[in-house]
Amino acid sequence: MSVAELKERHAAAIEAVNDLRERLKQRRQQLLDADGHKLHSFSLLYYLAGYARSLGRSQVTFGPTDLVCCRTLQGHTGKVYSLDWTPERDRIVSASQDGRLIVWNAQTSQKTHAIKLPCAWVMTCAFSPTGQSVACGGLDGMCSIFNLNSATDRDGNLPVSVTLNGHKGYVSCCQYVPDEDIHIITSSGDQTCVLWDITTGLRTTVFGGEFQSGHTADVLSVSINGTNSRVFVSGSCDGTARLWDTRVASRAMRTFQGHEGDVNTLKFFPDGNRFGTGSDDGTCRLFDIRNGHQLQVYYQQHGDKEVPLVTSIAFSISGRLLFAGYSNGDCYVWDTLLARVVLNLGSVKNSHENRISCLGLSADGSSLCTGSWDTNLKIWAFGGHRKVI
Amino acid sequence: MQSGRSQSMVGRIDTRGKHRIQAELKRLDQEARFLEEELEHLEKMEKASTACKEMLSKVESTPDPLLPITNGPLNLTWDRWFEGPQESQGCKCWIL
Repeated sequence: MSVAELKERHAAAIEAVNDLRERLKQRRQQLLDADGHKLHSFSLLYYLAGYARSLGRSQVTFGPTDLVCCRTLQGHTGKVYSLDWTPERDRIVSASQDGRLIVWNAQTSQKTHAIKLPCAWVMTCAFSPTGQSVACGGLDGMCSIFNLNSATDRDGNLPVSVTLNGHKGYVSCCQYVPDEDIHIITSSGDQTCVLWDITTGLRTTVFGGEFQSGHTADVLSVSINGTNSRVFVSGSCDGTARLWDTRVASRAMRTFQGHEGDVNTLKFFPDGNRFGTGSDDGTCRLFDIRNGHQLQVYYQQHGDKEVPLVTSIAFSISGRLLFAGYSNGDCYVWDTLLARVVLNLGSVKNSHENRISCLGLSADGSSLCTGSWDTNLKIWAFGGHRKVI
Repeated sequence: MQSGRSQSMVGRIDTRGKHRIQAELKRLDQEARFLEEELEHLEKMEKASTACKEMLSKVESTPDPLLPITNGPLNLTWDRWFEGPQESQGCKCWIL
């Protein structure tokens, strides 16, 4: 290139740089919030917390007797792996290493059903929206449906009403599509999620797998959007979470990167525009589904000790609290806005004696149920004085 | 000879000038890349801040039975867990 040409390019480059500098200056001036507070350039890892703090929000504080264990549900003889509430009437179904599902009346602590499973290696369970059926799945690769109103057989066992067969790997998680008992979504070690029609027992749609793009490793969890049941998210050993529309099987709507380990658990935020995840990397994260942003990371340093894995999460009904169970027995209550741990249910009076493997909120958000490897379930509620604003 | 020498001098000056300009160009290109990255980051922050604003608003306007300080209205059924039999052991029958 001649000197003259180089000089031309040089002039053009100076113009380009000046233009970029000007655009940046204007952008920075625009980045003010409604009250005129200038936003600092927070790392996107801690963005939400930085934002909330810059607006002067103070963290949630619990007194020592505020969140208490008010029921202990005893009956399983093995580790509890999964639990689910009914949408109404305070009933819970739990699945255990002892090869049984138990249906509880959480108010009275009584067991209404104890279901011996055809395959003892159960990993997940779910209550149907009407409360008339429960579903479970596990190492047998099948999802079994039990109608709670059907007659027991000669041995006093509740028979399986429908078997959903088709996965080529274990069933890690299942959730009914809200509002009807007809459709259920499962996630599997075969790297797919499947939407099933329970009335026919057939697969309606397969998400991912060998013929379409999707997860590249075992899928460990699903969560269906409570405000738009055509949308669900899945978490996988490939370290990603993916957002799916049930009408589109060919590819995920969005893939969320960030975690550095298996995504063991995920739950939609109450308003359906965000979801939380929990991972083997010891962090929980909050993602926005509309723009793919990772809004916040929830992580507490443990010094030199091994980082505990996140096993399960749930949001309180406003989304202000994130409950997270860890492999070391901790159950942190995170203030989601300020990204601080405000309580550890793993170290209070009457806490579980082993890892918390599953947790879930009651439909009205008034209580949290935790299930543990110590074979028990516990119900936690707020027993302190409430201040109304 | 004189002109030959001055020609090669001009040639040398030209080359030095060329290298200087090339180095300057390289620096400018790098700066443009950094500026573009920063613009992208700010764009992300803008979108993220809208998302945060919306989340804050949603969270702070929803009544939550598990919070010590919450919006109303309160619902008396939230306290049903503390009514009736208070035993924390509950049903003790074992599955055979």
